[in-house]
Amino acid sequence: MKRTILGYLTLSLAIGFPSKGAAEKERTLFIAFAMTKAQESSSIPTDSGIYLRSEKEDSWHRIGPVIQSMNSLAVDPSAPATMFMACGNGIVRSKDGGETWRMVTGWRESDFLKIAIDPENGDNIYGTSVWGFHLSRDGGESWTSANKGLNEKYCRTIIVDHRNPRRLVLGTGDGIYESRNDGGSWTRVRSSPESAILRMDRSLNNPDLWIAGSEGEGVYLSTNDGKSWRPVAETLSEANVYGVSLHPEKENRMAAGGWSQGLWVSNDVGNSWEDRSSGLPSQNVTAVVFDENHPDRLWVSTFEEGSYYTDDDGKTWKDGDLNGAYVFDLDFVTSAKE
Amino acid sequence: MIFSLRQMHFSRCLAVVAFLVAGSVFGDGGPPVAEISEADLVRQYRERCNYVIDQTVANTDPNDLSRGSSFTIAANLFRGENLDWARERLRLSNDPPTGAMFWMHPMVLLMHAGREELNEDDWAFIRELWRTYFPYRGDTENHWVMYYVSLYLVAEMFPDAGPEAWYNGKSSKEIMADAKEFILDWMRITTSYGQGEYDSPNYIEEYTRPMALLVGWARDPELQQMGKMMMDYILLDYAVENLGGLYGGAHSRLYPRYLLQPGMAHSAAHAWLLWGQGEFSSNGGTLMIAMSGYTPPSILFRIASDRDKAYVHKELKRTRWRFRHAGPNAFEVDGKSTIPVYKYSYVHPDFILGSSQGGLLQPIQQQTWSLVWREENLVGKSNTMFGLQPYSSPIEGTMFFNSDWDTVTDLIARSKVDYDSPDKLEGGSPYEQVFQHKASLIALYDIPEGTRFPLISTLFSRDVNRRIEDDSGWIFGQGGPVYIAYRPFVPGEWKPVDWTGLLKGGAGAWFSTGFKELSEGSECLVSYSLKNGYIVEIAPVNAYETYREFQSAVKVLPIEVRLEPTPKVSYTNLAGVKLEAEYGESPSVDGEKVDYSSWKLFDGPFAQAERESQSLEMIYGSERYVLDFKNRSAVASVVKTK
Repeated sequence: MKRTILGYLTLSLAIGFPSKGAAEKERTLFIAFAMTKAQESSSIPTDSGIYLRSEKEDSWHRIGPVIQSMNSLAVDPSAPATMFMACGNGIVRSKDGGETWRMVTGWRESDFLKIAIDPENGDNIYGTSVWGFHLSRDGGESWTSANKGLNEKYCRTIIVDHRNPRRLVLGTGDGIYESRNDGGSWTRVRSSPESAILRMDRSLNNPDLWIAGSEGEGVYLSTNDGKSWRPVAETLSEANVYGVSLHPEKENRMAAGGWSQGLWVSNDVGNSWEDRSSGLPSQNVTAVVFDENHPDRLWVSTFEEGSYYTDDDGKTWKDGDLNGAYVFDLDFVTSAKE
Repeated sequence: MIFSLRQMHFSRCLAVVAFLVAGSVFGDGGPPVAEISEADLVRQYRERCNYVIDQTVANTDPNDLSRGSSFTIAANLFRGENLDWARERLRLSNDPPTGAMFWMHPMVLLMHAGREELNEDDWAFIRELWRTYFPYRGDTENHWVMYYVSLYLVAEMFPDAGPEAWYNGKSSKEIMADAKEFILDWMRITTSYGQGEYDSPNYIEEYTRPMALLVGWARDPELQQMGKMMMDYILLDYAVENLGGLYGGAHSRLYPRYLLQPGMAHSAAHAWLLWGQGEFSSNGGTLMIAMSGYTPPSILFRIASDRDKAYVHKELKRTRWRFRHAGPNAFEVDGKSTIPVYKYSYVHPDFILGSSQGGLLQPIQQQTWSLVWREENLVGKSNTMFGLQPYSSPIEGTMFFNSDWDTVTDLIARSKVDYDSPDKLEGGSPYEQVFQHKASLIALYDIPEGTRFPLISTLFSRDVNRRIEDDSGWIFGQGGPVYIAYRPFVPGEWKPVDWTGLLKGGAGAWFSTGFKELSEGSECLVSYSLKNGYIVEIAPVNAYETYREFQSAVKVLPIEVRLEPTPKVSYTNLAGVKLEAEYGESPSVDGEKVDYSSWKLFDGPFAQAERESQSLEMIYGSERYVLDFKNRSAVASVVKTK
């Protein structure tokens, strides 16, 4: 989930976060990646990790240990010193802002792709993995599988409904599933794509607006809070869409990017889409996100050809570094203010 | 043929002693292997163990700090040799540490082997590595076994260490509890449903290494006992399909160089150490076994060596876990999807013809069927034959790997460089179906339009001599002591093994090293028909007066082939058995459908194990050796026979 600082403060008031803590927080861009471009005659990337973007220094800084296969980061919005990394090894947690880390999962839980945290109760942690959906009720100390109702266990992405945290929306190997009982059971959303859901996003301004990127079925949009979905962006209708993002303030504006497709932007709630990728060095897009701190800024990661951002709707692109990286996730988390 | 003198190729004085002892024991023509005394077996084995360790130390250059793995450092520490070099090399080779579980397990060996020699500074250096280096647990069975065994054993060395001592922030007690649970669970699943990464002549050592660590150094008596039993289990799995150091049959994983020269595989090094077969070659797995003190049960020697009579051996394995696209035949084990693998091997004194049912059983490196034959000297010999439908696709990649549809093929080929090449020699295909009855094998292919590489390929190595393409459609050849008959349903064209030049051109570093020499003179028969198939019929040379007589016998065998709408064949083999197979259907033998549902984990004269039994009975004559994993016991006994 992405929120502006304003959005975050609004939310924190709504759900009763202590205002003292909230005032010291900000939203920070993270990137989870593996350096694969220089990977020759080897199954091991030359580097991998999770970096945070420093606004002040306009550069990336590593956070956490170096482990092969690090796929995403989640931060407890009510306690930003508590962070979770979704890794091949399992879930690695820090409770002291990244000073020390502990692997909180056992051998049965591994290959995590995305983590979400209940905004009302930081003890409820949810993780998607290639083996299925996992949840913790004690802040990550212990984990259980919760796959009842899923046709395919492969789970890629998850969003917790901040208006009703018992409602979870899950992107799986065969479409979007919803749980209204905290992961106790899952029901497939019938109008969702039948193929794997690769990415999802939900609007900060309009919680009824959702977007999903799929494997082979392009971009899907929901305007009724995920109850029903419809395909949009006809040009991408058979594409593998690895990046989707909804603008943090302008609810009409959204972006999607996919393999061989470059980056596409819509300014009319998905009715029409325009190619904005002519200045990018590669059309193989693996991540897309609007910048919550600079709402007119759009970030794009390309496969092994670097990450870039534009402040002028794609007319020009600036180098965001990490050339050679295969980016698995590019998103915003809450952090203590720099 | 019984284990004979010519299989004992020791090149050093120590080995010559063993050779002479062996000679005196076996005598002319070779007595039954059952008559070799237990004491002699153990003594010879111990001599070979010492030889492995001594050779590793002897090959150390104490003036060269640029070379030497953790295995070599461990052997030197174990022998108390070259200690200054070992200390320095330990530091240089870990600046920084790399290799994840491939770093972990030799480091554990080094730590145990060096207990007497390592000083406080050394220990501080090593413990800092374990505190700061966060190894990846990997993505496949052998990775996980090496990872958790290593982790258990290193934590067990410092049982009271707290979370601050380890990279993962867990205490030693937490690490040991988690790792032990994994290890025992892996054993339960393997002995219940079959190994996922089954019967790999390459990766066998990725299992024997961690089991050797448990045998040699686990303080936990349960894990030590289970490690010993699992080592016995894995070696039995090899022994029943072993022919003088050649690992016959269908395999989950094999690299091109070992496909072409089976005598080079790591399994061959194991056969030398464990059973005195073939040539010595330096190998991390055998070093670890040698240093561990593991002693194989003597029945394993007899099972691995006695090839007096031909036999059929069947096994049930399973595929690697499937994340996606598991398919209609999938079943779940503890929530993870897999499908059964039905293995069938015909083990003859002179050859092994073995197969699985075909299909996508393993990612990348599957060998669906193979023939290997006995050779006097395995060095440089390409004594093998096999066929495949070269297949690569994101379906296969995303089935087994946590990667994206558009990148998975590319990323696989970064290390397995031939994965996406039409002339690759390994890999399964969803469009292949194989069926075998003793020395006869039928392969059928129904390849859809648009398949990336719409062809099938069969290796005729440089050691298949006297090749004849007969007007009847049969292709004949002779490989060592066996005659080969191959009947393609659709003609093909002869191509050099590496017809794209990918590997000869050096793509893939070690993967391609020396590939020109490995492949030179060998050819593949490549056929481009989408509806296709072939019959393979093998016979020992000594079953016929002449080569021509064999050909004549084969040429009159009844065959009916139909390619549309799907390939179908009816064939009566040299033994007069009628075999029928149709793509997509169960095959039949003399009119009776093959019942795969009754397949056992092990089913042959030397080994029996029922599905989900968690046990294995080894059989040799009146001897029995039972591994009971439920009750953590291994019991040897002798049964009364008539």
